[in-house]
Amino acid sequence: MTAVIEVSNLAKRYREKLALDNVSLSIQPDTIYGLLGRNGAGKTTLMSILTAQNFATSGDVRVFGENPYENAHVLSRVCFVRESQKYPDDAAPIHALRAARLFFPNWDQQLADRLADEFQLPMKRRIKKLSRGQLSAVGVIIGLASRAEVTFFDEPYLGLDAVARQIFYDRLLEDYVEHPRTIILSSHLIDEVANLIERVIVIDDGRILLDEDTDAVRGRASTVVGDAAAVDAWTAGREILHREALGRVASATVLGRLTPEDRAGIVDAGLDLAPVSLQQLIVRLTQRSGDDAPAASPLAESHGEPLSLTKEVR
Amino acid sequence: MSRILNVVRLQLVNKQTWVWIPLIVLGSALALSIVIYAMIPSDGPKYGGAGQAPLWYFFALGLQALTLTFPFSQALSVTRREFFLGTLLTAIGGALLLTAMFLLGGWIEDVTHGWGVNGYVFRLPWVWESGPLAAALTYFTLALFLFLVGFTGATIFKRAGALAIAVVGVGVGAVLVGVVFVITRFELWGQVGAGLAGLGALGLALWGLVAIAVLAGISYLVLRRAIP
Repeated sequence: MTAVIEVSNLAKRYREKLALDNVSLSIQPDTIYGLLGRNGAGKTTLMSILTAQNFATSGDVRVFGENPYENAHVLSRVCFVRESQKYPDDAAPIHALRAARLFFPNWDQQLADRLADEFQLPMKRRIKKLSRGQLSAVGVIIGLASRAEVTFFDEPYLGLDAVARQIFYDRLLEDYVEHPRTIILSSHLIDEVANLIERVIVIDDGRILLDEDTDAVRGRASTVVGDAAAVDAWTAGREILHREALGRVASATVLGRLTPEDRAGIVDAGLDLAPVSLQQLIVRLTQRSGDDAPAASPLAESHGEPLSLTKEVR
Repeated sequence: MSRILNVVRLQLVNKQTWVWIPLIVLGSALALSIVIYAMIPSDGPKYGGAGQAPLWYFFALGLQALTLTFPFSQALSVTRREFFLGTLLTAIGGALLLTAMFLLGGWIEDVTHGWGVNGYVFRLPWVWESGPLAAALTYFTLALFLFLVGFTGATIFKRAGALAIAVVGVGVGAVLVGVVFVITRFELWGQVGAGLAGLGALGLALWGLVAIAVLAGISYLVLRRAIP
């Protein structure tokens, strides 16, 4: 498969901060990506450069093999609604959706209407008067109904309640199955989107920390559950990402792929394997990267020692 | 091309900005002028500048055409070039419409002898002396020029922030003061006055078209690197 987006050695420097540092990526078609990272990690900057809304300081971006800047042919196949998207003051959601329909060739009005209904979006209220959640719903509807070949969702759920978020995840998956396309979902509700995303890109302090299949990421760690003493005995000498205990039962997440001997040992010790929380894994990963690169010199050359976790990626 | 026309439709989503407010400005300026003319106890023809109000509104329109719609146009994957051309097209359409109204107003004032009170808002002799076509060109140029001043200013602000707009403003002011100084220093005011009078409304309008082209070029270049 040819990549829909190729990024090489991308850098973006704001006056005193390097927002993106030597980012190279290849985004495959018909895949749901999770773009994960802390606030200010560079997620929005990256997405806005990929959609030619912002400009790179150096490096190269190809979308469908072409430079997206001022390229209507490429851009009409791409949709990026920002988390803080501004809409015309006088417009109501109905106008915003009508406008979106003009510009996205694959626009599905039925889907838009249905989503508006499900999100209980007041179509004729002026956008200025919408709540934060309703504003997010406008962006989500544009993103889904545009059916662009590459769709970016930048923290699309801000202000949406749990029910509305679930509607978003469900409709996204449904529509994706019927109309496969590339979706890049930036989020810090990692566990909520963990079942949705097929591939994980973790960005931290402007650098790509991880770019891997979700399942492979999960395989990097294991959670064992059972008698606290047995858990502690088995985890001794391993790197523990997370441990919690309730009475005599403990669960511990340890780093590293399990060997057959490990699995045998777990069974012998009377322990069980449980699913690993992607969120814990990624939080831990991001924290460790923070320890490695002292905040005092964010502009220093890329850190010397790659993390053991990310070694295979590089 | 269809995407550029769609930008026109996108701009016109702001119905209040593009339609209702200018109509209110025009209508109330006219109504107030007529009332004032009626109160002036003079039989001679009375002229006023109230007709300028909707023209000046085009400055605000230029500002808003960028600030209200550019960020959203980016979310709709519109290129900057498409946005620029579509917005310019909308402004030209708006200026043409306004010109038509001014012509119509001038014609009504001619027929009704200044709304029955010998007062004129549209049919100003200085503008109309070379005929309705020249008057039309004057109104059109002025509206479009003011639109582009607003649009260019907003674009510079979007691209480079408040400081840049202040620097540009001060720069333009300094140049104007410099020109005034030179004219005064060399005692050229008489010639300048004669020159302007010689140009007439039509000549000024033609120079206005040149200024419009320059502003359009500047705003496009600035917009090309603007970030929503």
